[in-house]
Amino acid sequence: MILLTIAAASPTPAPTVPGAGIFTSPLLLSLLVWVPVAAAIAIAVLPNPRGRYDVLMKQIGFFTNLGLVFILFIAYNQFEAFLPTAQYEEKVPWLQAIGASYHLGVDGPGMVMLILSGLIGIISVLASLGVRERVRSYFCLLLLTQSAINGAIVARDMFVLILFWSAAVVPIAILILGWGGPRRRAAAWRLVGYWGLGTGALVIGTMTLYAAAGGSTFDMDVLLKAAISPRIQVAIALAMVVAAATRLPLFPFHGWARDVYAESPIGVNVVVAGSAARLGAYLLLRTVVAAEPAAAHLLSPLLAALAALTVGYAALAALRTVDVRQMGAYLSMIPGGITMLGLAALTPLAIAGSVLSLFTGGMAAALIVGACATLSDRAQSRSLQVLSGLAPRMPILAWLLTIAGLAVLGVPLLGTFLAELLTFFGSFKNQPIGAFAVAAGLVVAAVALASVFRRVLFGSPNPDAPGVSDASLGETWYLSLLAGALLWIGLFPSGPKLPGTDTPLFDQGLVNVMAAGISDIASPYTGATPTPAP
Amino acid sequence: MNVKNLVLVPEALVVAAAVVLLLGGRLGWFRSVTRRYLPAATAAVALVALGVELWAGASLSTYFGGGLIQDRFALFAKAAVLLAAAIVLAVADWTAEDSLSIGLAMPLLAAFGVMVAASAGDLVALWAGLELAAAAGVVMVSLRRPDLALRLLVSGGVASALLLIGLAFLYATVGTSDLTAMRDVLFSGAPTIALAVPLFLAISGLAVRATLAPFHLAGIPAGLGASPLGAGLVLGLVAAAAAVVAIKLAAVLTPIPTVYSSYLEVIAAVAMVGGGAAALAVRSPRARMAYLAAGQIGWVAAGLVSHHRAGLAGSLFLLGAFAVAATCGPAVMGRADGGEHALAGMGALRPARAAGLALAMLSLAGAPPLAGFFGELTVGAALAQSGHFGLLALGILGSLMSLAAAVGTLRLIYLQSPLEDARRGAPLPVLTRLSSIGAVAFCFVIAAYGLLSNPILGLAEQGAEALGLR
Repeated sequence: MILLTIAAASPTPAPTVPGAGIFTSPLLLSLLVWVPVAAAIAIAVLPNPRGRYDVLMKQIGFFTNLGLVFILFIAYNQFEAFLPTAQYEEKVPWLQAIGASYHLGVDGPGMVMLILSGLIGIISVLASLGVRERVRSYFCLLLLTQSAINGAIVARDMFVLILFWSAAVVPIAILILGWGGPRRRAAAWRLVGYWGLGTGALVIGTMTLYAAAGGSTFDMDVLLKAAISPRIQVAIALAMVVAAATRLPLFPFHGWARDVYAESPIGVNVVVAGSAARLGAYLLLRTVVAAEPAAAHLLSPLLAALAALTVGYAALAALRTVDVRQMGAYLSMIPGGITMLGLAALTPLAIAGSVLSLFTGGMAAALIVGACATLSDRAQSRSLQVLSGLAPRMPILAWLLTIAGLAVLGVPLLGTFLAELLTFFGSFKNQPIGAFAVAAGLVVAAVALASVFRRVLFGSPNPDAPGVSDASLGETWYLSLLAGALLWIGLFPSGPKLPGTDTPLFDQGLVNVMAAGISDIASPYTGATPTPAP
Repeated sequence: MNVKNLVLVPEALVVAAAVVLLLGGRLGWFRSVTRRYLPAATAAVALVALGVELWAGASLSTYFGGGLIQDRFALFAKAAVLLAAAIVLAVADWTAEDSLSIGLAMPLLAAFGVMVAASAGDLVALWAGLELAAAAGVVMVSLRRPDLALRLLVSGGVASALLLIGLAFLYATVGTSDLTAMRDVLFSGAPTIALAVPLFLAISGLAVRATLAPFHLAGIPAGLGASPLGAGLVLGLVAAAAAVVAIKLAAVLTPIPTVYSSYLEVIAAVAMVGGGAAALAVRSPRARMAYLAAGQIGWVAAGLVSHHRAGLAGSLFLLGAFAVAATCGPAVMGRADGGEHALAGMGALRPARAAGLALAMLSLAGAPPLAGFFGELTVGAALAQSGHFGLLALGILGSLMSLAAAVGTLRLIYLQSPLEDARRGAPLPVLTRLSSIGAVAFCFVIAAYGLLSNPILGLAEQGAEALGLR
């Protein structure tokens, strides 16, 4: 039933939900983008002699994110589900000479990304409560990163998109350089190199699109609907694929992922894996799948191959590695591969699956890298050859790591299951080889996880291993929130209802919200959809 | 009062202040109490000149028989250099300078040179403005390193000769030195190899002045050896003067772009990529900033390759950002330029200056959302419109390398613990109220340039239009 609802995305009146209509602001999206910047500036200028107000800095970071989640809750509940156009639009002329405007707006997939970013924001602050050094700089940079991510999500102008897309690179690189592990330098430079390459590809793709569309505007509403020759569409789409592949990451543009996830502080890991990396797939959805159908059709085998290679490579690498954080890094690439498979399939069902997997995949990736990093911190070792029999001594962390592994694999009851189900159902017809290869990769990943869990969590304890302790309250909270969000989507994809009615309790359902816009995006590909039997 | 009469007041103010400072310094007019307030007073003069320029400069007028023209282009360029001069005078660490009076006068004279070039109506004024700015740079360098000043003088002389040969041949070809008339004549002419060769020389001469790679062999070492203010002059204002001349010449030559665009394209590409690569390779913060500036001036040159209004407007827009960042950046850094460790912990000890230095580095690297980013993206849009995607790709490559280099310096400033002075190698800039205000103003300008870019870019567009481009 849910699958058919999403696939058809028929316009039906949304029932009233709590939060709807209590607050309207023409600057709703701007608040999401600029409130973190204001908080970062406040943190930067606040006097902090000898770290006396470090706790206050953390509180500012936390309550800023809490405020953002509150604004998002309102935006989410006021969102007109099944409306294909962008909502909460803000448009102010900016660089009129080149046709750039400050144009923000959000549709269904955008709202899914915003919810993801909001939750990840607050979770990343919780994961960063253990930061002791240069607290001011850390939280300042974390908030700037979040602002850049939110800006990239809500941008409806390619100029603004480039601005926010590239703005995330600098604070994340500095966060890794300043608070990362022993190989932080290599990690930061790899991140700058790969994400820089992606930014360059995005700029070239955008400029080509801009020139091909007449060079008068950067507005997505015009630019992405311009009639462009298929050859140029393919060139633009290739540039966008490179940009997306470096960010998501996809094989062979994944070179930053292992080092960054293995060396970053945990809060940064959560942001990068959870929301920053998902921007890659979101970009591809916006600029290729939704805008360049000819190029999307032509490149779909390539995208499917990238998805299969990514999942296969990540699973094999996770099987071979002896470093628990690197294992988390490799496993976190798998949700990105599944999202890409959905985008490669070009059917409404698969596109819906890939949009849902933006959220669930982001949560699962953040959970697995966070759980692995926390485990290595608490066990005082990263070596899988040293860690053994940890479950009795760290039961909370063992449970959370198990849920993380299951989330990556997409087992029932978790949100990733639904996303994978939609993706696979939608892609077996159009991309059978890719879908089978991805499924095979998931099997290898399951083997890797099973062997690691058997030894590390449930094996006999290693007497030579350093002492271990279970997750702290803050760590438990941030990991539980990630796991809880995945469970919530898995159990209530359409939101919880009053018993016996269709009235939502307080959540109109992520799948209903994300459906807004999907029908529009998938409209060029509806011919390929198998018609359900009457 | 007729506003037209006030148009040259900024130039008069700047020159008068410079002359008074030089004479006062030479004749010992300034007592120690007066000397304490001289930087603030001189910065105030530059600010007043800027205010007059913005108020009166909007009126279009011609002076000295067409030798000087006040148009939107002149207004934009003059406002940018006056702002750069005012900030650099405020933010400079005067304990790191060799002479107060000369140090105060030379930025004003260099700014005056750029102003003359910006409002030049003929080739002579164009050349004279450039030489005046360059001479101020040589004087500043000579105060600390006469050997480097001599090297700069000789290379500058060669550059000047190349430029003069090119301009002379251009004059001989079209029969007039008036820029507007030259453009009209060239509309009916055809591009020839005989015209391309002298233009090749002229562009090479300008590239030396602008310290564009691979013509940076004198400019950048001189900038590295000079005092902080001297470095800002050579890397910022003199390069800006060369860029102003290049933009005006490019506007004249738009009817026959084939005679120069290929060569300019190569120079811009080498500068953008070379600047970024060199910035990544060097360790010294001053050297890194110098190469970042060289890379960004390559973007200014790239905008000229498009040979249409959007490109020239983009170059002019970026030039404003460049002039402020490259002129003030070394002064913000002060003496903390000895090596990597010199900047360690500056963020904690000198927060305003550290923020200024970080923003200068990032802006020169083209990082969002700062002045340089908007300028480079505007030039990038112009390159895309004119189909120069290869050059755009190389520019992006150069900017990415520049960005990586800038991030490395940011790490030093903010993430390393402060060292004792003995290990630091060079003392941090002295903290004064004026320098703090200057640093804050500098940060505001660099950060606000992008956010307020619509009116600024609009003025740059009008500037390009004033050069006869439609």
